[in-house]
Amino acid sequence: MIDRFRSVFRAIHPKFYRQKHKHLDHYFTFTNYRKIWAIGIFGLGAAALLPLLVITMIHYQLIQTSVDSELILRTERVASNARRAVTFFLEERLNALSFTVNEIGYEQLTNSDHLAEILRNLKLGFGGLTDLSVIAHTGIQVAYAGPFKLEGKNYSGQIWFAECQKHNLYVSEIFRGYRDLPHIIIAVKSFRPDGTFFILRATLETQRLIQTLSAYQTGEHADIFLTNHTGIMQTVSKHYGGIFEKMTLPVPNFSSRTQAVMTTDAQGHSIIMGYAYIYTQVADTPFILMVIKQKAGMMRVWQELRSNINWFVGFSMVVIAIVIIITCTFMVNKLYLADKSKAETMALMEQANQLASIGQLAAGVAHEINNPLALINETAGYVRDLFVIKEQYQKDEELLENIDSILEAVERCGRITRQLLGFARKFDVKIQKVNLSEVISDVLIFHGKEAEYRNIKVHVDVPENMPEIETDRGKLQQILLNLVNNAFQAMADGCRLNIDVASSGPDQISIAISDNGCGMPEENLSKIFDPFFTTKERGQGTGLGLTITYSLIKKLYGSLTVESKEGLGTVFIINLPISIQEKIIAHENSFGG
Amino acid sequence: MKQYDLLIVDDEKRFADMLAKRLMLRGCNCEVCYSGQEALNRIKHRNFSLILLDLHLPDIYGTEVLIRIKEIDARAPVIILTGHGTQKDRQECLQQGAYAFMHKPLGIDNLMSVLAQIEEMSV
Repeated sequence: MIDRFRSVFRAIHPKFYRQKHKHLDHYFTFTNYRKIWAIGIFGLGAAALLPLLVITMIHYQLIQTSVDSELILRTERVASNARRAVTFFLEERLNALSFTVNEIGYEQLTNSDHLAEILRNLKLGFGGLTDLSVIAHTGIQVAYAGPFKLEGKNYSGQIWFAECQKHNLYVSEIFRGYRDLPHIIIAVKSFRPDGTFFILRATLETQRLIQTLSAYQTGEHADIFLTNHTGIMQTVSKHYGGIFEKMTLPVPNFSSRTQAVMTTDAQGHSIIMGYAYIYTQVADTPFILMVIKQKAGMMRVWQELRSNINWFVGFSMVVIAIVIIITCTFMVNKLYLADKSKAETMALMEQANQLASIGQLAAGVAHEINNPLALINETAGYVRDLFVIKEQYQKDEELLENIDSILEAVERCGRITRQLLGFARKFDVKIQKVNLSEVISDVLIFHGKEAEYRNIKVHVDVPENMPEIETDRGKLQQILLNLVNNAFQAMADGCRLNIDVASSGPDQISIAISDNGCGMPEENLSKIFDPFFTTKERGQGTGLGLTITYSLIKKLYGSLTVESKEGLGTVFIINLPISIQEKIIAHENSFGG
Repeated sequence: MKQYDLLIVDDEKRFADMLAKRLMLRGCNCEVCYSGQEALNRIKHRNFSLILLDLHLPDIYGTEVLIRIKEIDARAPVIILTGHGTQKDRQECLQQGAYAFMHKPLGIDNLMSVLAQIEEMSV
């Protein structure tokens, strides 16, 4: 399970995150690919997601504002209509009383039968009237029509009596009164011919007013009720208090027209509060009409839409983010790989340049040294010849040994200069069709005797269907000879040498030369292609063998890799193109000619 | 041992003389000359069993000398002995009929064995 997770992680984990290549670092155009990656993702993300977010926010804001103003407008309209209805309700009754008081004189009104008749007629016309009474200017009730026996009651000390005396018309708050039923008193003042005043008072049931109000209560989120100027509830509200309780909302400021505002209630719910101070054309009233709408309820449709939009926006953002991350990772990885291959090429080129300049220098040195070397050789040789001829020196072995060591040293120098010249030499590649098994057996002929003598088993495996490759036979031979030589030197007697040829690609073959000889320590592996690096004893090797082999393989557009374990053996793997001609053409084209 | 007639052509006088002395110690009959023209003059007048020819001569380049030698005597065995030879020189010389292309410094024994080979072939 963990392995599976790891393999998935590795597949999506970009290459530039895990590659380490200190030696190539200064060839890279960009050094910090993680930073480029992060900047890319952040930049693209910001460019793509910010506008989306901003647009969404603006859209929310717009919708919010328009929904709010629509809600306010609707609430205001309801409040306005309800106000008109309540005003009309009160005005109608006030006007009826005014008409009655003006039309019918005091004498007739104080006649109980007549008053009862009038009450009956008013009830027929308007309904909701409980009783009707006439109060003289002294405050004594002089006539009464209704269900109670209230004649003779003195109202002179009551507020409504004083108010009505002052304003001619009076509308009371809703109160319980003697009967413990909510009702409203309306009263109209009039004058008798003798100049004294009297008041016609009617008691209204609130039932009809409440019915009128509730007709405007549309939807479950609306609440419509009356309160007085001090915030005492006049009718029952769903949420803001029972009748005669203190309203849990603040009393709105006075306004002559209907208003609607956004606010929050005591529970912290967002509400739209529509209100209107009720006053009739003829008299003020103590009522404030309140229309409260719960915003949350009204907004539900919009909330659902917003939730859908949120989901959509969220999903889009995730998709955009994923696309951006994938694209960035892909592009940065491509960039990284291109940069890496450039860095590798530059490193190789630098190595090649280094080799070439070493080669040129070496060739110059070799040329200049060869002639004096030849002279030393001949002179020392001549001295030796003389010693050998003259009898008195013939027996002096020490002399001869010294001369021989000079000659040996000269020969060694000569070997080095010849190799240096070979290394520097630039000659054209001669292309021909080469049969690999033939070349390998040609090379092995040189070592046949040695293998037999040292009991080294040589195993060659060339597949039957291996095609002939087009390359330079001489160079290939030299390459193989060098590597086989190396292997023979690394092996103890009785070891085994394998040469395996295989196809390593559609247009590539590989030749693996493996031995189970002494192998190499890891620290030497990186140096073996360097010029003059040798592990042989002083004077035994020039340190140019593998350098030359490497440059020859490069000339054949191939590559050479080496794996080695100290004590277990070494494998050299040569990769060569099947057709070198195509490589040359491609190479020339890439350099413009 | 058969008496060889050798001509050494090299502008390094001391080298040429020294090589001549050593070959003479080995029973060869050696002549030495230090320029191409001189060598050609001598070859016109007598035959040599082997001519050792340097490439970097002061007057005529070695390959040119070789061509002219072959014009005089196509069968004259010539060994190029040089400290500066390039692959191009080598190819050219072998094409023009040089018997071998050898680099300085050269072991005297190698030279003697080449001489023996030439002798075998001519027999």
